[in-house]
Amino acid sequence: MSTTIERRRDDVGTPPPPPPPSGALRRTSDWARRAPLLPALIFTIVVTQLPFVVTLVVSFMDWNAYYPDERGFTGFSNYASVLTDVNMREAILTTVVLTVVVVLVSLLLGLGIALLLDRRFRGRGVVRTMMITPFLVVPVAAALLWKHALFNPEYGLLNGTLTAIWRLFGSDDAPQPDWITAAPLVSVEIALIWQWTPFMMLILLAGLQSRPLDVIEAARIDGASSWQVFRYMTFPHLRRYLELGALLGSIYIVQNFDAVFTITSGGLGTANLPYVIYQTFYQAHDYGRASAAGVVVVIGTIVIATLALRTVSTLFQEENAR
Amino acid sequence: MASVTYDAASRIYPGAERPAVDSLDLEIADGEFLVLVGPSGCGKSTSLRMLAGLEDVDRGAIRIGDRDVTHLKSKDRDIAMVFQSYALYPHMTVADNMGFALEIAGRSREEISRRVAEAARILDLEEFLDRRPKALSGGQRQRVAMGRAIVRDPQVFLMDEPLSNLDAKLRVQTRTQIAALQRRLGTTTVYVTHDQVEAMTMGDRVAVLRAGVLEQCDTPLRLYQEPVNVFVAGFIGSPGMNLAEFALDDGHAVLGQARIPVPTAALGALSAEGARTVVAGFRPESLELVGAGEPGAFPVDVTVVEELGSDAFLHGSLPDLPPDSGTLSDSVIARVDPTRPPAKGERVHLRIQPGREHLFSPSSGRRLPAA
Repeated sequence: MSTTIERRRDDVGTPPPPPPPSGALRRTSDWARRAPLLPALIFTIVVTQLPFVVTLVVSFMDWNAYYPDERGFTGFSNYASVLTDVNMREAILTTVVLTVVVVLVSLLLGLGIALLLDRRFRGRGVVRTMMITPFLVVPVAAALLWKHALFNPEYGLLNGTLTAIWRLFGSDDAPQPDWITAAPLVSVEIALIWQWTPFMMLILLAGLQSRPLDVIEAARIDGASSWQVFRYMTFPHLRRYLELGALLGSIYIVQNFDAVFTITSGGLGTANLPYVIYQTFYQAHDYGRASAAGVVVVIGTIVIATLALRTVSTLFQEENAR
Repeated sequence: MASVTYDAASRIYPGAERPAVDSLDLEIADGEFLVLVGPSGCGKSTSLRMLAGLEDVDRGAIRIGDRDVTHLKSKDRDIAMVFQSYALYPHMTVADNMGFALEIAGRSREEISRRVAEAARILDLEEFLDRRPKALSGGQRQRVAMGRAIVRDPQVFLMDEPLSNLDAKLRVQTRTQIAALQRRLGTTTVYVTHDQVEAMTMGDRVAVLRAGVLEQCDTPLRLYQEPVNVFVAGFIGSPGMNLAEFALDDGHAVLGQARIPVPTAALGALSAEGARTVVAGFRPESLELVGAGEPGAFPVDVTVVEELGSDAFLHGSLPDLPPDSGTLSDSVIARVDPTRPPAKGERVHLRIQPGREHLFSPSSGRRLPAA
């Protein structure tokens, strides 16, 4: 025993560590590492932050391309008109309705599908991948698909199915509703729900699979039925995941433009804020008001995003505390 | 309160060749504290989970009292379980954790709070009733898990290694508390552990499992004194039993310079098997230090002496062993007088106290008849 220790001590002849570099030297080496990143940083600022600052400045200006002589600062009048204009107020209401309906329904559907996919069955991986695909489709393509391939009253899949069912029972006059005209906002909502349900399902499935199994077993032994296990154990555990899904979904749906533009072009009371901003900018060419409306959307999104980030951070804290 | 019966109960995991629990036959009397013990993977937890209804019973039956619960759901079995991880409900307070089962059972609010308060008093948890599990120490969480079980006043307590997440000192303390609590409540208890000291100190009876098979189920003392086979002999006891294969020579078991007389009955059983060797085991306390000339004395070179204060254990090796001496534990452990321990490197002579050796068949590992 003692001999090995002595032998060890002999060959522990490592050189002393190099002295720490002096301040100036360290600063140089720090900059040598940072400098290559600078172009990327400057590029990012130029393409993301500058436009926002410009938008902010323009939102306080009277600037309409049709009246080039009246350009100048006007203070908050653009914001006043955004918040008092009937069209704008309707757009805000439409945005809220669209967001709430799409987020809630896709959360509910996502929860149901996630609960089903949480069970073990053959081919679960394949089914899970298939369920995610709507989220992977380009939004405009998805909207076009719904508008033309499904909702179209002449050759759409929905009316085609109705015809086929009525034929099956020997009738030739199947109802052929014009879906988009009859329920324009609902049509937009359905297309968005179809695309966002997989996202909610993914988040909730992750939540379900992070459930501590022994807690569920303990609840079963404590006499809880399947429904009671869901009500008292699974649901409280999923609460944060539901909040996260709702907030992330809200951020995206509030800004939605593709579906509204493609399916209804903002007609029949489906114009949401982003669409109205687009109209104000590209059709009315009122850059001041469009910018003010844009700032309102950004502020709304920041409020939602702050809540979302707070939820995410509490989620992480709880995972760490476990 | 009820007895528990495992009637040839088996669990075969899908895709597994061997059953995880193989035809377990076990009768646990009303009010008994039975400990299931064994090395990891021996099927002790699976056996417990079968009783809890968390694992399917593929063959055989399990009864609680006269009720056949083999295919009953967990919630209908009237059992309470303490998990290794405690499995407390993270979003509920201590009081809600303990009262959850009663609430599910639809008991009145007064009854729930009365029974929770009583359990909290027994377990010294009164000041923590409003806390969440996150804000409790490991020992407190363990007590909440116990509280959740006793509040229900179930027919059977199931405990799955409830102490293994505690530090050593708290484990010894809690061990005594659980045993005392069980005596007081008189509830039939099945307790799983891998720690044979826990098993020996807590159980009325201890069931030793290996590879899904019940090896022996008996009182701690009988397990220690009369292990039915080599596995139980080696598993029970700390430090473990010295086990080695001895050659048979003229009615004696011989290894190096050690010679142990073998009783006639054992010799008869060995010759019936056609065995030319015998497995002999002797506990550390069955060895004594003697002078070199004493009959039955054999020399041992001391490698290490563990001094524990109340005891000292000598670890040594047998010198001059023939190279073909077969399976043999390479060190001998003997309990020696802690006030006068031998020095490291010294050669001492040990003798097995007559009649305190255990003899086992070399082929089957079974205990051989003595006398």
